[in-house]
Amino acid sequence: MRKPLHPLTMWIWAILLSIGALALDNVWVAVAIIIFCAVLVRLRDDGSPWSSSFWWALRIGIFIIAFRAIVGVLIGVPIPGTNLFTIPRLDLPSWMPGIRIGGAVTLERLSSSIHEGVIIATMIALFGAATSLTSPHKLLRVLPVFIYEIGITLVIATSVFPQLATSFQRIRKAQQLRGIEGNKFRNLALPLLEQSLTRSLQLAESMDSRGYGVSRQRSRYRPEKWQRLDSLIVLTTFITLLAMVSA
Amino acid sequence: MITFENVSLIYPQSTKTVLEGLSCEIQEGEMILVMGQTGSGKSSLLRLINGLVPHHTGGILAGDISVDGISTRNVKPGSLAHLVGIVGQNPINGFVTDIVEEELAFGMEALNFPQDVMRKRVEEVLDLLGLNAIRSRTISTLSGGEQQRVAIGAALVMHPKVLVLDEPTSALDPIAAEEVLSVLHRLVHDLSVTVIIAEHRLERVIQFVDRIIYIEGNGETAIGSPEEILKNATLVPPIIRLTRALNLSEFGTSVREVRRLTADIRSRDFAAVNSVLAQHTPVIEIDSLSIKYGDKSALNEVSTTIGAGEIVAVMGRNGAGKSSLLETIVGVLPPDSGKVQVHGKDPRTLKGADRRSAIGYVPQEPSDLLYKQSVRDECEQADRDNELTTGATFSFLNSLVPNISMDTNPHDLSEGQRLALVLSVVLSSNPKLLVLDEPTRGLDYQAKALFTLALKEYATNLNCPVLLATHDVELVAELADRVLFLAEGEIVADGPTLDVLLSSPAFAPQVAKIMSPKPWLTVSDVVAALEDVS
Repeated sequence: MRKPLHPLTMWIWAILLSIGALALDNVWVAVAIIIFCAVLVRLRDDGSPWSSSFWWALRIGIFIIAFRAIVGVLIGVPIPGTNLFTIPRLDLPSWMPGIRIGGAVTLERLSSSIHEGVIIATMIALFGAATSLTSPHKLLRVLPVFIYEIGITLVIATSVFPQLATSFQRIRKAQQLRGIEGNKFRNLALPLLEQSLTRSLQLAESMDSRGYGVSRQRSRYRPEKWQRLDSLIVLTTFITLLAMVSA
Repeated sequence: MITFENVSLIYPQSTKTVLEGLSCEIQEGEMILVMGQTGSGKSSLLRLINGLVPHHTGGILAGDISVDGISTRNVKPGSLAHLVGIVGQNPINGFVTDIVEEELAFGMEALNFPQDVMRKRVEEVLDLLGLNAIRSRTISTLSGGEQQRVAIGAALVMHPKVLVLDEPTSALDPIAAEEVLSVLHRLVHDLSVTVIIAEHRLERVIQFVDRIIYIEGNGETAIGSPEEILKNATLVPPIIRLTRALNLSEFGTSVREVRRLTADIRSRDFAAVNSVLAQHTPVIEIDSLSIKYGDKSALNEVSTTIGAGEIVAVMGRNGAGKSSLLETIVGVLPPDSGKVQVHGKDPRTLKGADRRSAIGYVPQEPSDLLYKQSVRDECEQADRDNELTTGATFSFLNSLVPNISMDTNPHDLSEGQRLALVLSVVLSSNPKLLVLDEPTRGLDYQAKALFTLALKEYATNLNCPVLLATHDVELVAELADRVLFLAEGEIVADGPTLDVLLSSPAFAPQVAKIMSPKPWLTVSDVVAALEDVS
């Protein structure tokens, strides 16, 4: 089995590259980074529940690009250039100078909006990729102890959500079969609440009987080791960052 | 190892004592079975051992319980973590982390064990329970049997002297259950771990246990050897019912013992039993049905017909495609290819009242169907939905299980009572097909017998088919006319219950194992055959 990377490596990689993408401010480089992330995540997909988070991040990114483009067209400062089309302009009171709703849409105005959208989407994709490649649970393990304690609480809290989603689907399916149409909130909420409470109680019992919180200190089963490959990746990314910033 | 000293327990806002004056001593390396009706307080007794009751649940406890000399009165459950390992009814709800190895280490991390000790113990447990192949897998992707073993492993890494398990095999198929039980057997014999286990399916555990604690429901308890307790108990496995029916001179709890006692019965000659399925008008027609999840195929080219009045059991390992088949038949899962027709119609097009009158469905978690605050509200809702006279559903419920108070919240009912409620609600619309997914989890023998009777009545009186997915071979033997056996998404056996169950040793019911090679599945089969001869 290949030794896994240190949990921090991919996060450092994501942070450095997003700084680079911001500094360089080039759409084509940004798109290239997104494609690179996609390939990387696809190759290293190990079927863990977190590995789908990149694809969610990608969806959010696309939404942001679209949203930024629409907002950019409707509201904003006019940029002179090739006129594409004109939409009706809304008259605003005189105490709101510099803001304009509607009006002429130029190619430059549209492309600058999309440009900004792509840069934001790149950063989201990078963090999505980092989450996909190292589960946040693993990341928590290398953080200092006081964060770790809060972290484990968070992990437990979030572990309820997937369970909640499956219970929700199950209950809805069952109620459809009883011929209860139109998902009334009450009909779903009561069994759902009931089940998640039961689950939380059982989890608390299990943790309690396994000695959680008895000892002040907590040891770690498998400390993460920093390896040569980690240094190599971080170094390469850092050089790339320098190149991007100085370009 | 464990001492109960005059222990009585009562929960707040309850007038019924769960336990009254229980005194007993459990030795090191004993395997103890806790039995009793559903809702009689088995789980409470188990959780008294590490103090979860009353520290976690509240309740008034009199008397004293001590484990290895430590009284649970004085310490919290966490401080007993190194002594008592406890595995709950639904292990999936007790998992804290998401990887097998980390789950095993969780308890030791919490108690600040040094790292080298942790590494060594995790390896030990991985080997002991045969978990090495799945050590880095995500827990939620494991099968039920594997999850159960991980939960046992997570308790064992602490090197507890006592291991407490609440219905460890109730969700498992017979093969996975045997795996788990043989692990427990090994722990008792090789490591002298004291094991305390609660279980409804006595036929699975009875041959392993040294003593039984029988909770009689009114707070009374009896403790003794399996022979002492089971001689007079009402909840007994088929093997004991057979001993009683045949008036055997001696008492046996294992197949081997009773086989020896019944050798002369098997040697007699009996008329051959012919097991031919009667022809029925088809109700469900399935034609080369396939279902895929991603690139994993759940059902592969399944074709069969199920006729009016047939009771068909769908069996197979965990993950063999049973639930997928049922869900397609009731029309919540669209098939990837192939066709399913119920009464000549596509079940997915059914809505509202039409659906209610066509298909009745009891899901794996019966409480998914319930959403009202009291039994009365649920029953009245069912009456309204199906335009019945008020009270019709409740009187049906009463005929199934008497003495349910109308004002009880459905979630406070015992497992068996809740199933009865769901069944009455579902049957109130007189569906032309009844589908049940794992209906007997957590039911005792009495509740199961009532349930069997209700289903048989439904099938014969209304001449409608019943389809149920289950792991419970004893239930299948008593109830089903026909068995569909699924493996890897394909039907590998389809035929009369007798033929299918007898052909596989792992899925044979207890009576069949004892009476093999005679073709009898249940105690009543044996009795009937003996009467025919005499």
